[in-house]
Amino acid sequence: MSRFEYHQPESMADAVDLAARFGERASFLAGGTDLIVQIERGRAAPDHVIGLGRVPGLDRVEVDGRRISLGARVTHRAIERTPALAGPPRCLVEGAEVIGGHQVRNVATVGGNLVNASPAADLVPCLLALDGAVTLVGPGGERELPVERFLVGPNRTARRPDELVTRVTLSALPPRAATAFLKAGRRRAMEISVVCVAARLVLDASLERCLEARVALGAVAPTAVRAHAAERLLEGRPVGGEAFRRAAEAAQESCRPIDDVRASATFRQHLVGVLVRRALDRCVERARRAA
Amino acid sequence: MARIPITLTINGELHEALIEPDRTLLDVLRTDLGLTGTKTNCLDAECGVCTVLADGLAVNACLYLAVVAQGRAITTIEGLASTGEGLAPAGTMHPLQEAFVEHGAVQCGYCIPGMILSAKAYLDDHPRPTELQVREALAGNLCRCTGYQKIVDAVLAAASRMATGAVAS
Repeated sequence: MSRFEYHQPESMADAVDLAARFGERASFLAGGTDLIVQIERGRAAPDHVIGLGRVPGLDRVEVDGRRISLGARVTHRAIERTPALAGPPRCLVEGAEVIGGHQVRNVATVGGNLVNASPAADLVPCLLALDGAVTLVGPGGERELPVERFLVGPNRTARRPDELVTRVTLSALPPRAATAFLKAGRRRAMEISVVCVAARLVLDASLERCLEARVALGAVAPTAVRAHAAERLLEGRPVGGEAFRRAAEAAQESCRPIDDVRASATFRQHLVGVLVRRALDRCVERARRAA
Repeated sequence: MARIPITLTINGELHEALIEPDRTLLDVLRTDLGLTGTKTNCLDAECGVCTVLADGLAVNACLYLAVVAQGRAITTIEGLASTGEGLAPAGTMHPLQEAFVEHGAVQCGYCIPGMILSAKAYLDDHPRPTELQVREALAGNLCRCTGYQKIVDAVLAAASRMATGAVAS
């Protein structure tokens, strides 16, 4: 006997109706690379699975001067291959291309990566660094939440059972802005991050001073997190040297890593310092090269 | 939670089956359709032995529901040899298969169907890859015999053969 009943809504409204009807007994299915493993391992046992494959519009990438919008069903492969993301928002490509093998990236989605809410999800720090906002549609209409507030804990989000994540909206980058994503793992592919870091810097006209900064960390807290203290130490200050060293220290202080099979908390904290500085240096290089 | 009828397009042929919707493509291929060239192992998207192509893209059949595979052209290792419709006579092995044999790339063989399909998806998109690109393309396929060098050699040899059109695929 099947462990769940399968539904294939053809519209967003039908998908939300089904979710409202079944509540916590239902799970949405996008790429399935997390959900099917969880079902097979007995960690999830939905009575109803609502496949999103036929809901139109969820696989759209939209980029204009003001924003970047990634539909919930946009795959990691699509992010890797969207030319408009290869420039300043490049951290997205760098975060997408290190997840799993081709087989996983070909099906795994942005929405799934967000809703699964792994503290080590590689794409999520990139979404935080780009001021991502999640759009949810439920029976009462649409609402938007900053990614930072959407993430509640390990595998827990602010999504209500009757809400569908439809897209994440990111701020487009002004001139003299750049991003970078770096990941440390025990090997170069097929690896859950020991630590990952995404950064975004906007430089002033002299290319010597930082106007705006974002630093986001993965795998060092119950959710991917922004390092606000580090950001404050960067904004308005000259780039490089002292400011970057102090920001890296602040990022180290702001995280709460754990010991696990992949690394000790102490080593993770060390990596945060190294990777934050490196990511910031890379942003400066990129912003200057583009200018 | 009854069974539902599904239609799958596998290696160009339509197959109908009555299945429970929680069953994976891997399970339906092996159990219902007798296509056991696609292997089963980790069931976790780690090892890649279950790799098949869905509309030309490599996917892990262990995490891919059979209901989701409907409407897509699924290719398994059984579908790689020539059907006789092109220049090569029916049953002629794909250049990748030939290169794997010629280079001694097959040890125990369990990972090979997945290796070949991952390589095919990549070469169809990147006809002249570097060695590093081949290694990255195969990152999602593990060989427990650790025979990676000959596998990579075989993929590179097949790539140059396919690119120069020395063998009709």
